[in-house]
Amino acid sequence: MRLELKGLTKKFGSFTADDDIDLVVEPGQIHAVLGENGAGKSTLMNMLYGILQPTSGAILIDGEPVSFSGPGDAIAAGLGMVHQHFKLVGPFSVADNVQLGREHTQGMGVLSAKAARKAVRDVSEQYGLHLDPDAVCEDLPVGVQQRVEIVKALSGPKTELLILDEPTAVLTPAEITELLQIMRNLAAAGTSILFISHKLKEVQAVADTITVIRRGKVVAELEPTASESEMASAMVGRAVSLRVDKTDAEPGEPRLEVKDLTVVSDAGVKVLDGLELTVHSGEIVGLAGVEGNGQTELARSILGLLKPDSGHISIDGRDVHGRGVARRIADGLGYIPEDRGRDGLVAEFSVAENIVLNQYRDAPYAKGGVVDAGAVHKRAVDSIAEFDIRTQSPDESASSLSGGNQQKVIIAREFSRSRRFLVAAQPTRGVDVGASQFIHSRLVAERDTGTGVLLISSELDEIYALADRIAVIYNGRIVGEVDPDTPREVIGRLMVGADLAAAEPPPAAEAETADVEASSDTEASTDEDANGGDR
Amino acid sequence: MAVDTAPAPALVDERAPARHLRAGIVYAVLGLLVILAAVALLGDRTTTVAFDKTLTDASWDAPTRTVVLILGVIATAAGAWMIAGLPQRWYKIAGAAAVAAVVLALLFWAYSQEGTVFRAESILAGALFLSMPYIFGALSGVVCERSGVINIGIEGQFLMGAFTGVLVANITGNIYAGLAGAMIAGSLSTMLLALLATRFQVNQVVVGVILNLLALGFTSFMYDQLKKADGLNDAFSVPVISWGPLADIPVIGPVLFQQKLFVYVGLVMVAVVWFLLYRTRWGLRTRAVGEHPAAADSMGVNVNRLRYWNVVAAGLLAGFGGAWFTLGNSLAFNKNMTAGLGFVALAVMIVGRWNPLGVLAGALIFGFTTQIARDLSAAGSSVPGEFLQMLPYAVTLVVVAGLIGRAKAPAADGVPYNPGDK
Repeated sequence: MRLELKGLTKKFGSFTADDDIDLVVEPGQIHAVLGENGAGKSTLMNMLYGILQPTSGAILIDGEPVSFSGPGDAIAAGLGMVHQHFKLVGPFSVADNVQLGREHTQGMGVLSAKAARKAVRDVSEQYGLHLDPDAVCEDLPVGVQQRVEIVKALSGPKTELLILDEPTAVLTPAEITELLQIMRNLAAAGTSILFISHKLKEVQAVADTITVIRRGKVVAELEPTASESEMASAMVGRAVSLRVDKTDAEPGEPRLEVKDLTVVSDAGVKVLDGLELTVHSGEIVGLAGVEGNGQTELARSILGLLKPDSGHISIDGRDVHGRGVARRIADGLGYIPEDRGRDGLVAEFSVAENIVLNQYRDAPYAKGGVVDAGAVHKRAVDSIAEFDIRTQSPDESASSLSGGNQQKVIIAREFSRSRRFLVAAQPTRGVDVGASQFIHSRLVAERDTGTGVLLISSELDEIYALADRIAVIYNGRIVGEVDPDTPREVIGRLMVGADLAAAEPPPAAEAETADVEASSDTEASTDEDANGGDR
Repeated sequence: MAVDTAPAPALVDERAPARHLRAGIVYAVLGLLVILAAVALLGDRTTTVAFDKTLTDASWDAPTRTVVLILGVIATAAGAWMIAGLPQRWYKIAGAAAVAAVVLALLFWAYSQEGTVFRAESILAGALFLSMPYIFGALSGVVCERSGVINIGIEGQFLMGAFTGVLVANITGNIYAGLAGAMIAGSLSTMLLALLATRFQVNQVVVGVILNLLALGFTSFMYDQLKKADGLNDAFSVPVISWGPLADIPVIGPVLFQQKLFVYVGLVMVAVVWFLLYRTRWGLRTRAVGEHPAAADSMGVNVNRLRYWNVVAAGLLAGFGGAWFTLGNSLAFNKNMTAGLGFVALAVMIVGRWNPLGVLAGALIFGFTTQIARDLSAAGSSVPGEFLQMLPYAVTLVVVAGLIGRAKAPAADGVPYNPGDK
């Protein structure tokens, strides 16, 4: 299938998300669309897939103009899409998810479970994507869920073009390598692929052509031979340094000691299973791992939001058992939550109110139980200047800010107070290159003042860029603590459960992961787009 | 593929004995209270059980104190077992045994008074009949909420169905026309909810509450108007369907084979809704839309259209349930005659975990306890009537808290869907 977009434009009110986009995908080609968070990539794909209607412009398939009033039309025309946020119904089986919308029936609308199972087996065998049709989707690992999505997209009546929207955001390095191989196989079999990403290495590894989008406009057409910094500066619109400058760590006394921590979920699963971890003053410990292996529970246990079933947590040498969240914060604990929409900000509050959210009860922001608006305002103006928060005024609501600037509000709140220990969970998720550079340098500066920092990140690039020591978490345990110069594939294997001895690289393994391997380990991770901020 | 072979996270061992101190103490104390009461209060009373419809001569006298003592010991033992620690999978069974023992003990006690007879067949048949409004209301709720629309307006649809059923039956002189009218009235009153919830994405709870008030006001006003004219609000009744010789089987006969139309429709609807929900294309899409509408939308399912029609169809069920209050009970319409049962039906839906079979179980528990309460107060029990009226709710509270635990609603229940949102 040859897909052509001509002058595609989408406006939301006065805001133009996509402006006059031209793009051609040739049959059997992998065409990458590269752009920052908010550049308009997802809007573009949603128009292509019929979820949104273009304001103007045309979509041509094999030269014929088409218009889609819904995803059903797009599927019928031969398009398949793997969404960034999986569109899987959790409690459904794989077969039910694949057949949704085009069910196998035995007449009268009665489902045929047998035919649905067989269809999944056929497609998964045809493309070499192993799947159990009866497995329940919400129990599957993320990588397998994505395979379900791919099989779902390929199960259309005649899928000839596959749209992959940020498909690697949630995968382990091994899963990414596997996905890239799947993409190559599909392209070789004649399926065209539109690959949306902000991860330069992957784009470099598989794309035949690269289109770079910035602020809704096509700004560059690049060959895959283009260098990473070339791609990055096209994306951001200025030269970017992809390195974080830092000196060697000087670890001091322990600031966080976690001993034998166990947390049992409602479902009876040990999400933390005897976890042991120590972080010293003046060092950044990077906690690497696939999301959902207990990172969230660890962070929430340290803050005191979650009551562990057994084990001990000491902060700054004192057991914090029985101490509430407010007490722990007052004692010098800082926390950058992984989900800023849920745990980090009160979206309806103003920027100023959010900045003093952890100190509003203390002088000088409150006097005799009454908040002093003047003091809060002054503090907000100072923070906005210091942390370069782009907002029209301190009184604007936090929800009106972009993801990166929301994150800066949290950073401003947490960093303008002396503290002994900091938990930074996914600190640059959904944050653009410029802002993540800033956040990274602040984290290093924080370490240099002697604070202990626990950096939880699912981005290996970020861990490599910042960590002085790397701990790998898997199934609620630390399965290995390694130096930051450990090769990527060793950590990748630890992340999926291999023990440290088995994870040491056999010589042949080098080639396997060479795809995503690049000369520079310290590329600043750009955006994660976890909040669906693309508009 | 590394991911497939990776070991699963550690589970808490299901077979290992675990202690349940709080639940154990509650059950043990309840059991001990029962034993204590049996010893101190019951003396030499007897409880009489009779099959009052088929074997009118036979009855069976049981020594109340002995039976209650045994039941008390069972509950205490179950509680003690929990305190000592028991395998996880036995926990619920032990809990069910303890609850059942305590409830049975109370029943035996209540029917041990001079002159009261446990008329097994009348009580069970009545219980099934009384569970019908809960079944219709809760099934209506299941159809709505499984597709992601909260329908708090079941009470209002009951009222509309109850009122319209009588009115249409009076005008046409045909009770089946009345039933059809009740269904249509229920459906029309959900249509507003469907429209506001899908097209205008209004908060569904607010709409539901307003619809309830609207229905109450409308039917009360119309009731006052109808009083002025003759022959518009007279009682009609549906015939009892008797299955010939089958109706003479002890216990089963009067309960299952000699009931009004409503009972058969209700039981069939439980099976039908279950089949539709879990075995058909409509059901798969409905569950998908209630769980993850964006996923269904991305596969070409029109989320809001499906929700709209589901809510409208659910109104048919609720309207039919409404007719139970008037036509089913051979009564004329009266102001607010549903008395909050629409809300109880919502509770039954939650107790039944949004599953038609669970709804059946929940509705039967409610129907049974309601029937017991009615029977006892009619027989002149020494327990005050207000306490008897609390019985269904108290039992539900115990069942939900002790046995069922936290129920999980469909993930997108009550969340309006706007295509293009992510």
